[in-house]
Amino acid sequence: MTQETEAPLPDINPLRKQVQAKIKRLELHSSTGLWILALFTVLSMGAFHNFDFLPPLSEGIRSALGDGPPVKYINWALVMYGFSAIILILTQMASDKKPRGALGHFGYLGVFYLFYHFSEGLSENFWAIFVVGLTILGLQSYHVWNYYHEKIQEQREILVELDKLMD
Amino acid sequence: MFDNLIARAIIPVTIAVTGFVIFGCLLLYSFIKADMTADAVRYADSLVETVVKSTHYSMMEDDRDALRNIVANVDSLDSVERVRIYDQTGHPKFSDLEGITEPGSVAAKVDTWAKTFMQSGYPGRENIQQRVDHENGYIAVTVPILNEPKCFTAACHVHSEGEQTLGFLSIGITSTQLEKTLAVLRYRMIIFSIMVLFLTIGGVTALLRMNLFLPILRLTYNAEQAAQGVAEYDLPKSDHKLGKLNKDFRLLVKQRDQALEDLKAMGNLDRNVDDGSR
Repeated sequence: MTQETEAPLPDINPLRKQVQAKIKRLELHSSTGLWILALFTVLSMGAFHNFDFLPPLSEGIRSALGDGPPVKYINWALVMYGFSAIILILTQMASDKKPRGALGHFGYLGVFYLFYHFSEGLSENFWAIFVVGLTILGLQSYHVWNYYHEKIQEQREILVELDKLMD
Repeated sequence: MFDNLIARAIIPVTIAVTGFVIFGCLLLYSFIKADMTADAVRYADSLVETVVKSTHYSMMEDDRDALRNIVANVDSLDSVERVRIYDQTGHPKFSDLEGITEPGSVAAKVDTWAKTFMQSGYPGRENIQQRVDHENGYIAVTVPILNEPKCFTAACHVHSEGEQTLGFLSIGITSTQLEKTLAVLRYRMIIFSIMVLFLTIGGVTALLRMNLFLPILRLTYNAEQAAQGVAEYDLPKSDHKLGKLNKDFRLLVKQRDQALEDLKAMGNLDRNVDDGSR
């Protein structure tokens, strides 16, 4: 007569640690949108003061860059950009896609500030760029936060299941 | 969870609509302000042109009384704050208010600004100069009075052929009316934006609540009741906004009720069989 022995369960502690590490990583990712929003606010503070804390460009660089584009063209570009960016983020949200491009938006907005600055239209249009920037980056950060919190929730559920197995 | 669902549906719409409406209004205001300012500058330009043309003959004839009269008449216009004809060194020759300029007034500001272009060697001395100062509420235009053959060949004058600019005409008009119109436009836009925001966000919220959240809430309530053992025919009637999901849920509950009844019937049958065999 042979006695059947139950096979011992594999050690799940490494798996638990992996899940915990993933949760920490996801928590870090979930705050990236807010960091970029904070960075944009700092950039906007500089733009509000017409970048007077930066040293002025030398005549050589100024002439190499040439005249800035007319302000009305930049305005239309800003309208097109703002509209497309908002639609793009809402589409990303609706299809539950991984959020991308927050840094890109920050770059675009920075370039708009620079264009307005060189075309001497920054003081007139500062609030328009600031509001559209806040809207785009606010939506993006909300999407980032939402997306990664769902992922964190999934990982927490896995952790609970693993804890049950350990018990 | 349901609270999250509402938040997730409404927050992005709120941010997108609020942001874009405010951004659109700011940009629209900027466009309108630029257009209205350009109109005001065009008006100032045409006024300057009129004065230049009307003083041209008097200057040729060296008719100083007529020049003084023209300057005084132009100054009597409501919007005009300053009219001055300067010589080529930047000294006023004919002025609307000789020696009575209050410091800090629009006229004083126009004079200070205009004199910067009259210094010899200034790069844009021979060009028309314009300035729009929304903060101090004025629009100023300075035009050079250029030399021409009639001037240096006239008997009365001492201008030589080599002198390019013989003097300047400077006009400053108040932009108070423009600023008032812009202020009214600003208030109207703020009120309009607030109304659009309330309507859009309120409308989206109401539609979502009516067509999605309330049917889900009813289904959630029905699921709770069914889990507590309430039969399908006792469940509150639900609307058909969730379509197949609602129908399938009621079918599941119905099948459960049927299975329970079948089980009960089978139990009774077994008991009867047991009783009969005794």
